[in-house]
Amino acid sequence: MNMVLQQIINGISIGAVYALISVGYSLVYSILKFSNFAHGGVMMLGSYFGLLGLQYLGLPFPLAMALAIVGSGLLAVLNERVAYRPIRNRNSPLLYLLISSLGVSIFFENFTIVTIGPNFRTYPPVLPTDSLMFGGLSVGRLDIIIFVMAAVTLSLLTWLVYGTKIGNAIRATSYNMRVSRLMGINPDMIVALVFFLAGASAGLGGVLFGIKYTVWPQMGILTLKAFIAAVVGGLGSLPGAVVGALLLGTAETFAAAFVSSAFRDLFSFALMILIILVRPAGLFGKITEEKA
Amino acid sequence: MTVLELDAVSKRFGGVVAVDGFSHRLEEGGLYAVIGPNGAGKTTIFNLITGIYQPTSGSIRFRGEDITGLPPFKIAQKGIARTFQNIRLFSHSSVLDNVRTACFRSSSYSILEGLFPTPRRFREERMLREKTLNLLEMVSLADRAEEKARNLPYGYQRRIEIARALAQEPKLLLLDEPAAGMNPDETRQLMDFIEHIHKTFKLTILLIEHHMELVMGLSQHIVVLDFGKTLASGTAEEIQSNPAVIEAYLGSGEEV
Repeated sequence: MNMVLQQIINGISIGAVYALISVGYSLVYSILKFSNFAHGGVMMLGSYFGLLGLQYLGLPFPLAMALAIVGSGLLAVLNERVAYRPIRNRNSPLLYLLISSLGVSIFFENFTIVTIGPNFRTYPPVLPTDSLMFGGLSVGRLDIIIFVMAAVTLSLLTWLVYGTKIGNAIRATSYNMRVSRLMGINPDMIVALVFFLAGASAGLGGVLFGIKYTVWPQMGILTLKAFIAAVVGGLGSLPGAVVGALLLGTAETFAAAFVSSAFRDLFSFALMILIILVRPAGLFGKITEEKA
Repeated sequence: MTVLELDAVSKRFGGVVAVDGFSHRLEEGGLYAVIGPNGAGKTTIFNLITGIYQPTSGSIRFRGEDITGLPPFKIAQKGIARTFQNIRLFSHSSVLDNVRTACFRSSSYSILEGLFPTPRRFREERMLREKTLNLLEMVSLADRAEEKARNLPYGYQRRIEIARALAQEPKLLLLDEPAAGMNPDETRQLMDFIEHIHKTFKLTILLIEHHMELVMGLSQHIVVLDFGKTLASGTAEEIQSNPAVIEAYLGSGEEV
């Protein structure tokens, strides 16, 4: 029993990091209706920004974290500005945005290899790695800190989207950009804001992931898992992205603990495929979008 | 004061001339109507005024300022709001959220404050909610505020659209066939309602309508369009007795 609880806690901790990344996929999808595959590159560079702040600029951890969050947020805005907006303005098919995002993703990866180098790097020990005992459970303090940081960020983000006038404007734009602009809402401003929020949370995810594991130029590929989590949750839905990510994190740790760590991805992805087969629109997705 | 001035505005789509040298002037506080057969270019004029289309030639001035070529959101911010012929609500959102979205600009807290629970944010969100509920009260929909917009009957959805347009605190309100799909009872109610908001908000209103009773009963000034061109312009009596209009549009003396 303790073993099961233990795995749930581990699963939620890594799932919370996935959630930080998958909400970015969902946010961007909800506004522009395409899957932004450059998101993984933004997360990877966010992780490097944090490392840069800590190791080369000698910043204290909170400042390095802020650098990573703001840096990757701005990077995502720049990415949209350079690689997507010109396509949007020409009303080209959405497929072009997808292709452009794949290109940007390859660019980010190779840019990092050329400028920073291809090797794995590790974060200095900024957060405690010992374990706390709760009854018979040993919980890594790092896991708790990661979970709390992710949970606070996700709560702020959810509140912004569902409880403020800004979120109202974001949701109106996601329903119908052509109508929302007639309400005086600047669509480009909303798109930039959404990319900033997506990039910033991916940056935080990247730092947390880097602290728990390592940092390397291809780590963006990991966000494929976050993407799948977003799809399972229902692409475009914020709560869906979080639930999907927590589910994936838990499935993964369970598979690793009770089956074999070699089969971890096989099992967790099989579960995801199963869910999508049963509910094609995802757990929180709308089956069909009514045409206005 | 002149609220809106269209000066020789034309719009071509390829070879089709949808609007051909349309000129008109709306004075503050007036209630104007544009009528004409389907395809006469009425909705195109609305799309030109709101910036959805750019005119091929001509200019549009709003309260003395040239707004030709401005993006739609800027024109909306300057104080022109509209409703649509085919209702365009955020149909999966609640009635409240639909109208609240249009209040966006009456609160001034920043995006950064949106992320963090500051007292000002709470205060302003409460204010926005109040304002929205007041507007819904006015269109008698306050008790349906939490329902999804698409679940309401058609006539109610129109009222949501009008409330949403009013939430922008416009100087000029454009109503595109507000009575479309309404029965005579609903139409009469709508007429009273338009008259009411016209007086209460001291609005300038420009409406497109096929429903002659509504047009003749409400408007101080009517423009008749045909094939993108102005056929006639004047008061209800002048229009009703204009031979060109009778021939082209109203038919021979019978009400349409």
